[in-house]
Amino acid sequence: MLQANYFDGRSTRVRSVDLSLSGEDLIVIGEDVDLRIPFARVQVDERLGRAPRRLRLEDGTFFEVRDSRALDRLLSAVGHRDGWVDTLQRRLPLVLLALVGCAMCAVAAYRWGLPSAAATGARHLSPVIGKTLSAQALKVLDAGILLPSTISEDDQRRLNAAFHAMRLPEGGTPRSALLFRRSPQLGANAFTLPDGTIIVLDDLITALGDDQQTLAVLAHELGHAHGRHGLQMLLRTSAVGAFLTFYVGDISTLLAAAPAAVVEARYSQEFERQADDYAAALLLHNEMSPGLLADALTKLAQLQPALSKGGYLASHPATDERIRRLRLPAPAAGAK
Amino acid sequence: MDSRAAMDTVSENASPSQAHFAPQPLRFTGSGAEYFGIWIVNLLLTIVTLGIYSAWAKVRRLKYFYRHTELAASSFDFHGSPIRILIGRVLALAMLIGYNVSVRLHSPLTLVVIVVLAIALPWLLRNSLRFRLYNSSWRGTRFHFRGGVGGSYRIFLLNGFLTLITLYVMAPFMHQRLKAYQHNNSWFGRTQFSFHARVGQFYLIYLLLLLGVAVFVLTFISSGVLGTFAAIAQAQKHGGHADPRAIFRTLILFYGVAILTVLLIGPIFHALITNLVWNNTRLGEHRIECNLPPIQLMWISVSNFVLVVVTLGLFMPWAAVRLARIQVDAVRLLPASDLQEFVAAEPETIGAVGEEAATAFDFDISL
Repeated sequence: MLQANYFDGRSTRVRSVDLSLSGEDLIVIGEDVDLRIPFARVQVDERLGRAPRRLRLEDGTFFEVRDSRALDRLLSAVGHRDGWVDTLQRRLPLVLLALVGCAMCAVAAYRWGLPSAAATGARHLSPVIGKTLSAQALKVLDAGILLPSTISEDDQRRLNAAFHAMRLPEGGTPRSALLFRRSPQLGANAFTLPDGTIIVLDDLITALGDDQQTLAVLAHELGHAHGRHGLQMLLRTSAVGAFLTFYVGDISTLLAAAPAAVVEARYSQEFERQADDYAAALLLHNEMSPGLLADALTKLAQLQPALSKGGYLASHPATDERIRRLRLPAPAAGAK
Repeated sequence: MDSRAAMDTVSENASPSQAHFAPQPLRFTGSGAEYFGIWIVNLLLTIVTLGIYSAWAKVRRLKYFYRHTELAASSFDFHGSPIRILIGRVLALAMLIGYNVSVRLHSPLTLVVIVVLAIALPWLLRNSLRFRLYNSSWRGTRFHFRGGVGGSYRIFLLNGFLTLITLYVMAPFMHQRLKAYQHNNSWFGRTQFSFHARVGQFYLIYLLLLLGVAVFVLTFISSGVLGTFAAIAQAQKHGGHADPRAIFRTLILFYGVAILTVLLIGPIFHALITNLVWNNTRLGEHRIECNLPPIQLMWISVSNFVLVVVTLGLFMPWAAVRLARIQVDAVRLLPASDLQEFVAAEPETIGAVGEEAATAFDFDISL
């Protein structure tokens, strides 16, 4: 005997009934109710924590049972089996296993899935998107922290010509536009926009005071352009943002808003190394020494000891290690 | 008031004046530990199926919360079909991507996409409301949303436009209209909800919000942020370069103030609005009372936020349960008559086929 509440689906009236089994049939006896239903026609709702469980009939009527142990006995008597998801949710070892599974998926996605997906995505993304993004970014930068360059037009023309005369390891000459700007905040710096446009700042050119070394730094930036690192970074941070929105969106949209920085810090090193390798290959291809880039890095590190965490080197950690790599006798063997 | 009266009086034609019925509190009976199992399995299956399972996960999540919400010793239930939710999600994702891409591209297509979205969104939102209510039930009797598309267009296009051109001065007005549209068109079985909150009451709460944000931001700016700004300006005047760490600190501080504002003032605003809305909503003759305590809600939100961050998200099931509990437990139904007397919408007025046709284009688009 099992006490249940019966709802007829037509009103909110609660009828107290007793459920029992007779062979394969469910017997229902109670207020105004006297039913005999083949159990095959009874749909058993899945268990949801300790909420009262429901047995449904096709016509929309149902029974609500609070005594889940008694119900379990009744269900096992008719050979009903709960779904595998239900088992997963209730067994502590399986729940812990699911937890480990989630953590492993997250790590794998972050280490391998995301980078390769972003690389593929960046390669196939329409160039229009990169151009639009870069145009917008440049507009914002020019209105904010970037000022017009004070490098003489002759010097600019000379550097520009030398830059575009470099032959790329994969063939051809740089298609990236080279822009000259000045910025007290960013100091001696150079960076690449998503469409490959390279911006070089006055302080970098004057600090190096050597065209060859400047070209070596630009070769490094060409490495970023070649690998589409800007777009990749963008895709990665968007993907992480989207995931976090899904992950914590349930309780806080606020938490989902802040993730970008975390991703960038981890990935930038890997991109820097790739760009260094590319630069080394490019320099060799143009019969220049990869040591030029090492010289440039050394000079920048020496010139701005106080700012070694702030200028060009801020986003380029482990400078010593990079310099060592570039000075290897057979440099950047891995470069394509 | 005799609490037994509500349960025992089953007089068929008792009028509200004759009998007093005890208030019926809504109660949330879920537990975080219990929900954790459901949540983590949902998460794993969603990841493994690359998001497809998320629709089934959502149904299970909603079922868990509905079934653990009790009124007069009976729980609510959610009946939504995962397939419909999946369709809705795919549609919403497509629209989101279409919108984002077109906005960034600045082509003539952008205008077309925006117009199409403006026409489609109110319709989808109406259908989403219909989906959600139609698939909710208490004691086997379903809720319904019977609002027309016209009302939805009026609110989202006309009132939305007015709100924009008045620089959000009309936002409380739009909020009131939206709630009125939602609640006046909601039914439980054959009993209609009605909404009685006035625009002025919304304006009052919005003014409080504005005041709160202003005081909060001003306090913070005067105490900390200005100091760092001065330091940066000083450094630039003398040395040319400002310490990047100072800039970083300022940014963090800015972000922190923004988070704190949302975290501390958001829940208070939410509590005040929720109380206003539900205290002025009736179900037929039955009144509803909602006393969501603002300060307690703020405490729950802040502690949830901290604990979720500290546990890398593992606290989330508990956070969701705590949030549900405080919100559900704040509500009481003040019955004017016996709660056994609600009658389900007559099947013949809608008809099983009609219902299917009416809901064929209903999806749940809330992500």
